Amino acid sequence: MTRLLTDRPPAVAEAGKASPRRPRWSGRTRRDFFVFLALALPNLALIAVFTYLPLINNIYYSTLDWTLGSASATVVGLGNYITFFTSPDAANVLGTTAVFTLVTVGGSMALGLLVALALNSKVRGTTFARSAVFAPYVLSGVGVGLVWLFIFDPGYGVLAWLLRGIGQQSPQWINDPQLSLVMVILVYVWKNLGYCAVVFLAGLQSLPQDVMEAAALDGANGFRRFVNMSLPLLSPTTFFLLITTMLSSLQAFDLIRIMTPLGNGTSTLIYEAYLQAFGAFNRAGYSAAISVVLFAILLIITVLQLRFVERKVHYS
Amino acid sequence: MAINLHRRHFLGLAGASAGAAALAACGGPSTAGTPAATGAAEIDFSGVKPAASFDFWTNHPGKSQDVEQSVIDKFHAKFPDIKVNLVTAGANYEEIAQKFQTSQAAKSALPGLVVLSDVWWFRYFTNGNIIPLDGLIKQLDIKVDDFQKSLVADYQYAGKQWALPYGRSTPLFYYNKDHFKAAGLPDRAPKTWQEFGDWAPKLKASSGAQYAYIYPALAGYAGWTLQNNLWGWGGSWSDGWTVTCDSAESVAALQWAQDSIYKDKWAGVSSKEAADDFAAGITSTTISSTGSLLGVLKSAKFNVGVGYLPGGPKAESGVCPTGGAGLGIPSGVSKEVQLAAATFLKFMTEPENTAAFSAATGYMPTRMSADMGAVLAKTPQIKTAMDQLAVTRVQDNARVFLPGADQEMAKAAAAILTQQGDVKATMAGLKTTLEGIYTKDVKPKLKS
Repeated sequence: MTRLLTDRPPAVAEAGKASPRRPRWSGRTRRDFFVFLALALPNLALIAVFTYLPLINNIYYSTLDWTLGSASATVVGLGNYITFFTSPDAANVLGTTAVFTLVTVGGSMALGLLVALALNSKVRGTTFARSAVFAPYVLSGVGVGLVWLFIFDPGYGVLAWLLRGIGQQSPQWINDPQLSLVMVILVYVWKNLGYCAVVFLAGLQSLPQDVMEAAALDGANGFRRFVNMSLPLLSPTTFFLLITTMLSSLQAFDLIRIMTPLGNGTSTLIYEAYLQAFGAFNRAGYSAAISVVLFAILLIITVLQLRFVERKVHYS
Repeated sequence: MAINLHRRHFLGLAGASAGAAALAACGGPSTAGTPAATGAAEIDFSGVKPAASFDFWTNHPGKSQDVEQSVIDKFHAKFPDIKVNLVTAGANYEEIAQKFQTSQAAKSALPGLVVLSDVWWFRYFTNGNIIPLDGLIKQLDIKVDDFQKSLVADYQYAGKQWALPYGRSTPLFYYNKDHFKAAGLPDRAPKTWQEFGDWAPKLKASSGAQYAYIYPALAGYAGWTLQNNLWGWGGSWSDGWTVTCDSAESVAALQWAQDSIYKDKWAGVSSKEAADDFAAGITSTTISSTGSLLGVLKSAKFNVGVGYLPGGPKAESGVCPTGGAGLGIPSGVSKEVQLAAATFLKFMTEPENTAAFSAATGYMPTRMSADMGAVLAKTPQIKTAMDQLAVTRVQDNARVFLPGADQEMAKAAAAILTQQGDVKATMAGLKTTLEGIYTKDVKPKLKS
């Protein structure tokens, strides 16, 4: 608004001097401005109330020693952050978060690209295959978690039944913390690779065919064309997927909550924040501090990706 | 991407941040100081008229929604001026606690009456979330003397009664009678774990089941049932407020449990629900709540036997903990709602209603005068649970009074029973964690 009133181009400013009684805003400009306010303010208000206010509240709560449900709390400043970063849990939680994020993002994107390449071929049944691959992505995480939990159950799960058929015992997928993490990662990748596949497929289908055909005529084989032409030309798609899958992976909750309610071995930052506040501990202030750490990590990753990774992206 | 931050912008941002911080500080808890929880004043209900309606938050323990609704219908017939809204507030005790705690933080939508489990009520007490019931018990003439004494005593602290028992249970030893018969074993539960250790190899060899015994799922209150093993060996999670989970006796008990899985190879650990594993025939025996009894009897395709929990080398009796849930009244609702809720609480725990609840779920009747004749004629196994009540033991403070202790115990049990972790080191780590919880989260609130 300040810019509108004062930072006018010199010509406009001079004109203003020549006729001082002339209205500074024309009727149309004012009308446009009010239309802008009418359209933007409700959304800005919603964002302020439901995004920024909780964020600020959360930062404030992170400075309190507050038991959820208690009407009183003690101000501890950075005490919750110090407790988190000096506890053995921090290394476990950050390690689990890193492993979960890297493997799920890498797995979803790599497998998604392979599936997209398969779906991009001109064979019968690709329409059905595309729907089948994408379907898990739109399914409820709770439903998916429950079904896979039954499949993995070492007692009477489908996997245990198959393993018994070849004389093997089922691993303790649910009770063993390390296997629990493997189990949740497998299901997460299965659920999300369809999203990557469909986005990669759209990217593959928008590649310039004349350039690809020219390369083929010059003798480049399929692998060379894929590595030296398709992959670089897909970089905007890859960049987009890298950001979106990493952000969603860092915020993954439903599968972890359903498949491993205690978070034993699967406690990522977001799930640890949930467990600390709404699980058995009720440490709301400590949980808020973990949430702020997660927020800072997400912010840093996003800024780094925008500043450095985007430079290597070919948009044309 | 370059951002030019001018002085004017900086001041604007600083002002906005200060305003936002001030706004944030307006909400949430008071930071004037943490009050101790032991000084709750008696509430005077004289002259108070019961509210016209209130919410009853329950997770329907033991699939009790139908019987809860039928008791409410009877209540409406007798007290037409008070409407009870039956609210499914979670699928288990933890979910209902989560909803209750969140409502406390939001200071809105609180129920008049809430189901609270053995590990949650004390936290509500220390947070000042529930009221003492003594005044209401006196005013409404609730016959506390007729309740099972040990169950009522579970909710007493600082000289006051904070809840009354509702869906109360003990663990039971479940066994597959057909498997026992095929193995040539007597038709009874073992008296001690050592005796069962002798039976288990025969049982596993002849039954064809995956396990002779399955330990309850670690996510499903492992700390509760493992007290049986600890007490049998002369150990415990704690003695008063002193954490004793790393004592030689406690370590020996859990070492024996680990050996039954990895050395002797006749036991396993349930992934979800031991009662379901037992009913499905995966294991010949298990320990599970009395609240699972009717479900097991309904779904098992074999003859089910139940018995007391086995003892150990140091104690053959008094090795069974009580458990389950009670009913409490929140402090954050009006006196009118509290009185209406107490009126219903009295009705809900009348002898005929506790008998009906017991018949529908398998939970123990909480009133001594409850006529269980018809119930026992139909389900005689409930008698075992009722008789076992006489040899139960109050749970260790560390499990029921320390926030999150049950979860930490489950993690430690997972390390020992599913990853073959070193028992002594794991218990030493657990002790440090539990002592930290006590020092930070409980001790300051117990100061008078």
